[in-house]
Amino acid sequence: MRYAGQLGLRLRIVILSAVVAVTVQGRAAVYYVVVAGLGGEPDYEQRFTAAAKDLDKVFKAADNTAHVFTLTGAQATTSQLKETLSAVARDAKADDAFVLILIGHGSFDGVEYKFNLVGPDVTAGEIAAMCDRIPSRRQLVVDTTSASGGAIPALERPGRAVIAATKSGTEKNATVFARYWVEALQDPAADTDKSDSISAMEAFAYATTKTAAFYDSQKRLATEHAVFDDVGHGEPVRASGNGQGALMSSFTLLRLGTSQQAANDPAKKGLLAKKEELEQKIDTLKYQKAAMDPADYKTQLTAALLELAKVQEGLDK
Amino acid sequence: MRRFASSLVLLSMCAAGAVASAAVPADCWSLRKHGHRQEAQACFDGLMRGGDAYARAEGFWGLEEWEQANEQFRLATQPANSKAVYKVRWGMLLHERFNNPQAADLFRETLAKEPSNGEAYLGLAIVSADGFDGKATEYAAKAIELDPKLSGAHELMANLALENDDRDLAIAEADKALALDKDAMDAMAVHAAVELIADRSPDPWFAKIAAINLGYGEAYARVGHQLEMHYRYEDAVTYYRRAVKADPRLWAAHSALGIDLMRMGKEDEPRAELELSYNNGYRDAATVNSLRLLDSYKNFKTFRDETTILKLKKTEADLLQPYMQAELHTIIVTYEKKYRMKLPAPVQLEVYPDHEDFAVRTMGMPGLGALGVTFGEVVAMDSPSARKPGDFNWGATLWHEMSHVYILTATNHRVPRWFTEGLAVHEEGEHSQEWSDRVTPEVLIAIREKKLLPLAALDRGFVYPEYPSQVVVSYFQGGSICDFVKAKWGEEKLLEMVHSYAQSKTTAQVVQQDLGLALEEFDKQYLAWIDKKYGGEAAHFDEWREKLKALVVASQQKQYDKVLAQGPAVLAMYPEYVGDANVYELMAEADRVNGDAKAEAAALTAYEHEGGQDPAVLKRLATLEEGAGRQAEAAATLARLNYIYPVKNEELHRRLGDLLYGKKQYDGAIREYVAVVASSPVDKAGAEFHLAQAYLAAGQKDKAQESVLAALEVAPGYRPAQKMLLELNQSPEK
Repeated sequence: MRYAGQLGLRLRIVILSAVVAVTVQGRAAVYYVVVAGLGGEPDYEQRFTAAAKDLDKVFKAADNTAHVFTLTGAQATTSQLKETLSAVARDAKADDAFVLILIGHGSFDGVEYKFNLVGPDVTAGEIAAMCDRIPSRRQLVVDTTSASGGAIPALERPGRAVIAATKSGTEKNATVFARYWVEALQDPAADTDKSDSISAMEAFAYATTKTAAFYDSQKRLATEHAVFDDVGHGEPVRASGNGQGALMSSFTLLRLGTSQQAANDPAKKGLLAKKEELEQKIDTLKYQKAAMDPADYKTQLTAALLELAKVQEGLDK
Repeated sequence: MRRFASSLVLLSMCAAGAVASAAVPADCWSLRKHGHRQEAQACFDGLMRGGDAYARAEGFWGLEEWEQANEQFRLATQPANSKAVYKVRWGMLLHERFNNPQAADLFRETLAKEPSNGEAYLGLAIVSADGFDGKATEYAAKAIELDPKLSGAHELMANLALENDDRDLAIAEADKALALDKDAMDAMAVHAAVELIADRSPDPWFAKIAAINLGYGEAYARVGHQLEMHYRYEDAVTYYRRAVKADPRLWAAHSALGIDLMRMGKEDEPRAELELSYNNGYRDAATVNSLRLLDSYKNFKTFRDETTILKLKKTEADLLQPYMQAELHTIIVTYEKKYRMKLPAPVQLEVYPDHEDFAVRTMGMPGLGALGVTFGEVVAMDSPSARKPGDFNWGATLWHEMSHVYILTATNHRVPRWFTEGLAVHEEGEHSQEWSDRVTPEVLIAIREKKLLPLAALDRGFVYPEYPSQVVVSYFQGGSICDFVKAKWGEEKLLEMVHSYAQSKTTAQVVQQDLGLALEEFDKQYLAWIDKKYGGEAAHFDEWREKLKALVVASQQKQYDKVLAQGPAVLAMYPEYVGDANVYELMAEADRVNGDAKAEAAALTAYEHEGGQDPAVLKRLATLEEGAGRQAEAAATLARLNYIYPVKNEELHRRLGDLLYGKKQYDGAIREYVAVVASSPVDKAGAEFHLAQAYLAAGQKDKAQESVLAALEVAPGYRPAQKMLLELNQSPEK
């Protein structure tokens, strides 16, 4: 996922720096906690459980070192959730990433958001408090429930990206966002920058596009408008810009391939540096596109892309 | 276009309602009617200055001070014992000022107080006629029954009859109006229109009108409206022009002229006419919405070639243009051969993704107007994106509308509604059996209840339906009549009928000459044919419905064995039914649960061949076909979806592209991958890369290079694309 224009260039540099950091320090672990809340009706129960199980499968298949905790059915209680998050808080390191995904129904009374679970519901404040105890510096909370927009103020914190299926607590109808969030992690098309991984931003973009298309094709007024916040304060947004989106763009949610392994070969450091240089050159060109002569842009872009392809060929050998 | 002279309608009552004043309203309106404009103005001015609220209302109305007139009518009708005529006249003012709902309320209030008020019934008839409500005739007849001397009711009856193309009745009613009022100019206009429609000179009637009032533009405008109702759009323009020439202040005619010119594909002159009308206070929905539509044209993209002009909304132009232009060309080749003629000019197709925009193009037109509409060589239709997936087949609609283009041209616009609509429906089925007009439940009920109309009266079913589904039933009937002609006499007879209509023959003459039958005998034979074909289904319709309900319940209760056991018998009772909760889908669901993919595919294939159009169901069928290794059938199934819902359907185009690519049908694959790119996909890089692959396979290396660069521009590190770029640039030919 890229920004357009200058912001994209800056972000690119941020992402590349992150890649280098990972290369030096080795690969951090990811802790995934997926919760399918109370369905209330058999149809919802089945749908929420199936979505949670699909995610469980996807995360485990993508990375056999990942720590995946999935709570469904009778297990989806506040005490189980607390226990699970306590375990993560105990085991996770600061460099590890933490992902919490909530699927189900939510409610908002104008003041407080609650995630519906078997037994007592859990409030957004309680969820935030549990997440705060987890040492991971990079956290992602995805609340796909109805009224989930009402949870954002409580969940916001620097270093934590928060995604909600609804723009506020007043969008109270059952959502379809979860369906497309799961689909984003199953569909390679979600990897729009072809980096062999799906970032939180790519998954968000995929799910919001598909959710909008769902309502459009059904000729129904959309009753959910997903938003995110990844600066840790203020109003959530629906698209990148003004600082929002940087964390989510660099937050790898799922790895699809083994590209990172090739990049770890010290013998190819020169090529890697060249690759980075070319990627920056391409970003700069794209930023300048509007102001350039189209033919000149095309010539320069073709040359840079060709050179990059050759460098990549060298890296892949 | 019915508001040309509503202020003059019900004129006779004004005298009765007048009070002592310098003049009575009837005198002022009479002066206006007879062309004494200045004297009329002075007369209305006198009324306006009088002491009686009702007279002041009429005065303000005559002076075109609508708000004040409205206020005075309000005052005049406040006393409990106010005369009934006041409310009727107030209703007519509201009708004239584009407020039919409140006008109808006032007419009904009058009737509640005075049930025998003929003028109120006439008011209701006028309002109903505006919306092509079948009750218009009923109300007008009631008005005449209550007040046989109401010449305006006869004039309205004459107009309604002519809109239904019942020319004899139109003449008879016009004559009745003239017998009651020798200056009934609207009746004379009906006579003039009848003459024009029959290709005779209308001049004697216009001379009579001119003798009464040289500036009575309404007469020409009414003729223009009738010409439009008979598909004579160019001729209508001529008469609207004469209307505004005779009375330059006839804003309704300026608006009608603008709208008619829009229907002919023009933009500048319509804008000028509509703005003139709007700026002078004529702001009915048709005028306002037409101006808005003209403004929105900046958001459209136009594609032109030798035979077609395609106007598409920019947001979906790149996606739809390849499909629609190709289909237009196929249709033109087919119809040129079939009808042995060429169109004199390129045909213009306008496609609206916003149904409200399309609706503007059909305002003031009878019938459903729901899918497409043809004005000579201009076709306007909904985009598939304007409708719920599965509700609409743009391909069938385009074949239908293009049939109108050819038939209107071939007959020089001398064709009854039933025949051009019927032939257009017939052509849909001729192109694809799956597109033939389904015998829907409402049609079966109409057959069972013997509601099909005699051929001589079939136009009425399209224009002034007497029951809610009569338009749908009439389309079916028109189409099946053409099917019947083909089955009994051969397809060639339909072309002969086209040629006969071109000679301005009546339906009775055409049927007698080309089919050798009197109309009554034709009706008899057609009904016998229909009864043989659908009589059984119609007779057992209620039984079928009950059995289908039971099958749905069984399916909901997961009694799939019961569904599979009883389904075939229910299906056999009414196999054409592919609507909600159809047997095909119920059985396919049961087969799916049983894990019988072959049987599920068979059920869905039957659904497809009966014309089932649910995109999700057809995609499921394609998946089953693909799973069974029947790639060609899967591709054919997905290709059908391109006619149903090609928009916002990236997955469809990608799947079809992949199938065609796999079968080395690279041109088709390119078309589909282009559609993926035009669908604003989430995976832009992937879409461009697949397109590049197809171009490369088709030997179009330059285009492959363009597409692969587009992919890499989005995702510079996209390795398959990088490899292709290297391959393309290492190739000796590059």
